[in-house]
Amino acid sequence: MTSRIRHLATLALALVAAAGLLWSSPAHAADTCDVAGIKVLVKDQSGPKKVPVEGVIAVVKDEAGAEVGRGTTDAKGVALICVPTKSTFTIEIDQASLKPGMALAGESTATVTESSFTTATKTMSFFTGVAERSGDGYWSLLVKAIVNGIRLGMVIAICSVGLSLIFGTTGLTNFAHGELVTFGGLVAHLLSVTWGVPFLLSAVLTIGLGGMLGLGLNSGVWGPLRKKGIGLISQMVVSVGLSIILVNLYLMRFGGTTKRYQAYNDQVAMEWGPIQITPRDLTTTIISLIVLVALALVLQKSRLGKATRAVSDNAELASSTGIDSEKIIRVVWFLGGSLAALGGIIRGLDEGVKADMGGQLLFLMFAGITLGGLGSAYGALVGGFVVGLFVEVSTMGIPAFPSIPFLTWIKDGVPTELKTVPALAALILILLLRPQGILGRKERVG
Amino acid sequence: MDWGFIIDHTLTAFVGLDAVVFVLAALGLNVQFGYAGLLNFGQAAFMAAGAYGLGMSANYWGVSWWFGILFGLAYATVLAVIVGIPTLRLRADYLAIVTIALAELVRLIVRSVTHKEKFGGSDGLKGFADGFQKLNPMDSAGTPYGIGPFQVHGSMVIVAAVFWIALSGVIGLAVARRWVTRRERGTVRTTAAVASVVTLGASLVLCSRVQILGAQLWTLMVGWVLAALCALFVWALMRSPWGRVIKGVREDEDAVRSLGKNVFGYKMSSLVIGAVLGMLAGFVFALKNSNVQPDNYSRAVTFYVMTALVLGGLATVVGSIVGPMLFWALLAFTDVFLGELADAQGRISVFGVEVLRDASAVLQFRLMLVGIALILLMVYRPQGIFGSRKEMALDGR
Repeated sequence: MTSRIRHLATLALALVAAAGLLWSSPAHAADTCDVAGIKVLVKDQSGPKKVPVEGVIAVVKDEAGAEVGRGTTDAKGVALICVPTKSTFTIEIDQASLKPGMALAGESTATVTESSFTTATKTMSFFTGVAERSGDGYWSLLVKAIVNGIRLGMVIAICSVGLSLIFGTTGLTNFAHGELVTFGGLVAHLLSVTWGVPFLLSAVLTIGLGGMLGLGLNSGVWGPLRKKGIGLISQMVVSVGLSIILVNLYLMRFGGTTKRYQAYNDQVAMEWGPIQITPRDLTTTIISLIVLVALALVLQKSRLGKATRAVSDNAELASSTGIDSEKIIRVVWFLGGSLAALGGIIRGLDEGVKADMGGQLLFLMFAGITLGGLGSAYGALVGGFVVGLFVEVSTMGIPAFPSIPFLTWIKDGVPTELKTVPALAALILILLLRPQGILGRKERVG
Repeated sequence: MDWGFIIDHTLTAFVGLDAVVFVLAALGLNVQFGYAGLLNFGQAAFMAAGAYGLGMSANYWGVSWWFGILFGLAYATVLAVIVGIPTLRLRADYLAIVTIALAELVRLIVRSVTHKEKFGGSDGLKGFADGFQKLNPMDSAGTPYGIGPFQVHGSMVIVAAVFWIALSGVIGLAVARRWVTRRERGTVRTTAAVASVVTLGASLVLCSRVQILGAQLWTLMVGWVLAALCALFVWALMRSPWGRVIKGVREDEDAVRSLGKNVFGYKMSSLVIGAVLGMLAGFVFALKNSNVQPDNYSRAVTFYVMTALVLGGLATVVGSIVGPMLFWALLAFTDVFLGELADAQGRISVFGVEVLRDASAVLQFRLMLVGIALILLMVYRPQGIFGSRKEMALDGR
């Protein structure tokens, strides 16, 4: 018992520490306008990395051509120009204010319309200099892909632990697990953007609510179904029905568009050699890592974790040793729901939140837990991580590979929009070669 | 509230093209899930195979649309074999996982910018249905045709009469089979006759209201003939020795294996047959819209087909015909019924409290009802309308 409390305390401390990092990340200039504003961002792209350009004058004119306001970019290359309404404006860069020898890469004017103001401030980016792709050589792109892959892998791992443990303890393959992820992303958006709760507080609340949702689904839907003796295949179909209900509920409440959190946007990336990462992404990566390690420790060391693994391995045997398997199942649902919510928030920070964001991750989660071994918690951690990494790195290709028709993806890399396709190939290969997964027990699964 | 309008819409949906598409897809799912116990969550991928086979025959390969069927057939078979080989030796959930992934990836590939020249990206393909419409014997632009038995022009009377009599006969027989025990043969016959006459009478009265344009009616007729042939095929198949083995595989795989049957082969062939039926559904779907759009083949489609199938009754042929018809009738009914309730902005209020914001919220509410219906059916009536509960006692293998 004490060890469990100690582990939880460590986890809490670690989370607070990581949260501190998020707080201390560079906040952008005090930029508020009464009604609406246009944020002009000027960067130079001729070097290996984009650098802000200072002292560029931007002029904002209304539809009639009258000047509404002007601003000069600061050391971050940002100039905020307040406008009286959200309507159509033209932004013009004063070319004379550019340093000698510097030229804009594209048009010197740009237009915003009322509908492009998704929030009170609309950011318009301008670039100077010709983009030199030499900085984006194969190896630096590979590093970037690996960094992205690590981040995606951690999100998948976090989301799929619950899925795998639920499978292990109850036998249910939950096709509505993606909707628990979406729940996290959307509720955090609702709390932080719509209701104005500070982002970190709303994240913590959301994780709690996600856990409650999991618990509620277990006691409201799955518990009674187990008691009624509904077959597992029927339960899978029920989970599909649940997924239809939840997705449409989300669509009804939030609409079908992608929305972003307002916190921690527009951060300038930090650099260590070829690695570029914004403080926000670094923080979420560290939080994910801490959560994953803590989770592994809890499962390995604590009484509850051991009991969970025991039920997951063999529910009857665990019950006969005095473990209350229904209690463990409740814990697993709470844990799964809250981890999915956390995953949804992290994913939402990366890609924005959308009603089908979890559904899109579902297949990657399945690939991950199948690779790791269905029902094994560590398997989900490892498998999810590997799948995420594989998906991102598969976009790179192997230049040394000979060009063979139908295998051009190996040489050139998978097109970014299709990067999840190799994960299906991997899933099929795993099932052919080692259906029990990397860490699954070798048993007859057919 | 305009009840005449509501009834017209509901009835049109009851026999409409969406219902035909779902009948074919549901027949396929039924061969897989209902009869063989294989949980295919990616029927949309096989439907896309048929639709894109048709679309690409004209747009990409530049050949007659007849070849589209062949392309679709080959493509659906290959897909089914690819997902079948690794999963059919394993537990049921592996097939579900792989098929759901397959459906999503097929959709991603056909809507990708990379393959836009082949599949048309997110705009999809169109202009392939002209050859099919040229064969239309009916006046495709003129006055709408009635599909009630007394409204059809010219020689179509015979076709319509055959269709209605056959449909009511099948429904009557199914009703009798379902609710009367086998021992009372005479009662079965009487009940069947009474039920058929009632169905026919109801269709005479009700369908006289339904009007369909010639162009659609042509697709509708071809679709229903195709659906009827497929239903007959599945019915005959399940009475054959092959069908008995397949049902045995669903009940107890090991027992069938101990009799020396190649369980893997049986499962694979059932998966392929179901995929081909799904392919035909996609084929009719493409003809119905005269276009192929990737987002029409999202995984939600599979789930709706599944709901329609469970509603009708798993492991019955009649169930996979009547289920989708009822499914679409109910969807259309809720659509027009809620539409009548809504105000000019599409809002629906109950006692002055706004419940549904706009028309899209109404759609989502209806789809939520689909999910609720699926859950309630699975829990309280897994045999649907026509199935038998004994047959639906699926266990978790």
